[in-house]
Amino acid sequence: MSTIIQCQGVSQAFGSKKVLQQLDFTLQQGEVAALIGPNGAGKTTLFSVLCGYLKPDSGSVLLFGHKPGSAALFGKVAALPQDAQFDPAFSIGEQLDFYGRLQGLNSRAAAAETDRVLALVGLSEQRQHKAGALSHGMRKRAAIAQAFIGAPQLILLDEPTAGLDPVNALQIRQLISRLSAEVSFVISSHNIFELEQLCNKVLYLEQGRLKTEANSASDSLQQFLTLQLEQDDSAAVTQALSALPGVISIEAVQQKTLLLCYQAQQNADFDLAVLQCLAANGWRYRNLTKGKTLEQKLFSSV
Amino acid sequence: MANPLSTLQQGWLYAGFELQRLWLTRRGLMTLAATAVIWFFLLRYAIAPASDLISADGFQQFFRDVFGSGGLTQLFAWPAPELAVYWVLSLLILPTFCLFFTANQLCSDLERGTLRFLALRSSRSSIVLGRFAGQMLVQGSLILLTLAATLSLAAWREGGISLAMLTAAIVIAVNLLLVLLPFTALMSCFSAMVRSARLAVSLAIVSLGLVFALLSWFIFYFPDYLFLMGYLPGTQVLQLIQLQGWVTLQHALLPLAQTAVLLTAATVLLKRRML
Repeated sequence: MSTIIQCQGVSQAFGSKKVLQQLDFTLQQGEVAALIGPNGAGKTTLFSVLCGYLKPDSGSVLLFGHKPGSAALFGKVAALPQDAQFDPAFSIGEQLDFYGRLQGLNSRAAAAETDRVLALVGLSEQRQHKAGALSHGMRKRAAIAQAFIGAPQLILLDEPTAGLDPVNALQIRQLISRLSAEVSFVISSHNIFELEQLCNKVLYLEQGRLKTEANSASDSLQQFLTLQLEQDDSAAVTQALSALPGVISIEAVQQKTLLLCYQAQQNADFDLAVLQCLAANGWRYRNLTKGKTLEQKLFSSV
Repeated sequence: MANPLSTLQQGWLYAGFELQRLWLTRRGLMTLAATAVIWFFLLRYAIAPASDLISADGFQQFFRDVFGSGGLTQLFAWPAPELAVYWVLSLLILPTFCLFFTANQLCSDLERGTLRFLALRSSRSSIVLGRFAGQMLVQGSLILLTLAATLSLAAWREGGISLAMLTAAIVIAVNLLLVLLPFTALMSCFSAMVRSARLAVSLAIVSLGLVFALLSWFIFYFPDYLFLMGYLPGTQVLQLIQLQGWVTLQHALLPLAQTAVLLTAATVLLKRRML
């Protein structure tokens, strides 16, 4: 597995405000990383550093072994920068054609590529329209389309579904999910549900520091199940499930939601045992998820 | 480090896109229309009457009596008086127009964030060089159009176009482009610094004025350094007015050198700034 992003001791300050402080992390090929953090945590600044828009004050950043913004990365690294807008004088199609030409495609190939990426985001019919004639959501989808031109190996998406209606947000999530087999992604979003679906690695930033760097294999010794019940029978359910072999702890994390911690070595079919126990007692459940939810992983101590 | 060949290829793409902006977008066509209106008035109310005056023998004799047979009397050597007036008028007003016309090489794209899309696909050097080349192509188009109109005026008065007139028109076009090179490159610098074209123009005017004032003050106390004035952009214009034909190219080196320095500065400025 090869390293795609390598950040070492990255720091950045604007005046006296330290926006990024000694960030160290790596991203391996095939990983889809979620970049999470509260407003002002430094997510967009980190994106700017990774895209080469901003040189950090100190530390080193390498993408595929090259500094961000290097010619070797043109066409290999793509991004959806936050708030970047198209030129209002030209149609979306003309601009995407131009971007394709800049990436080394000839006119015909660039036009075909524009058609392909516009179809990916459901904007084929807007090819001739200028950005000013499109809605906010359409402009966002067009900006996402430009990130898929050519064959990028790493795509950085800053809030890809912010401002999109639920149907289009779902389409973008499905698109990312489909492409994530071949392309590595770094996705910044406030939508934890979305990141949980798409990402297998989490980078949690707070006040410019990397608080958590976790991936989906983090819970290998102790396994977790998140159980969401139809009705609030938490006390009775907890008592019944506590008797199952392998249980370490059961915690009511929210109303009707239990977090079950268990030893997988002791009971390999623990999830089946939970379902059988629920069925035997006539308790209905809404959802059973393997592992902790991303929200629990990040904020369980809050 | 970007490959020089790909920088040139991408620069050429940017230049072509700027030309497309002039001929194929509404804003570009408005620019063409505005240029046409301005030059219609210049041709109708300045160049045509002045040409009639210059072509009169009495005026030429009077001019020689006042200014002698050198210097400005070279204006009479142009093959058509219309071209002589166009030459003087363009040399004096185009550098100022250029500051306004080329101010938006990068500002709007910086403000909108469009440069972030571009910087993922091309080096910042090719963006600066390409936009600069694009502005020169656009200005070249406008110069050729206005020269064609001036030649038509001359042809209408003289009953045809001679080879000497066409050669003179080419000399004028080449020289005007050379004069505009450093001013366009200067605006490349200022447009890489700020996010508004208006601010870029203001900065350019203030900076040029300030440099001129400081240099004048310095030369007042150290007259030996008067030659420094000759390094300011556009200072060769007054010497060019007094010349005619290909000999005008003896002043080509300075604007070319100024352009190289200013474009290097613009590239460094854009490379250092956050997009």
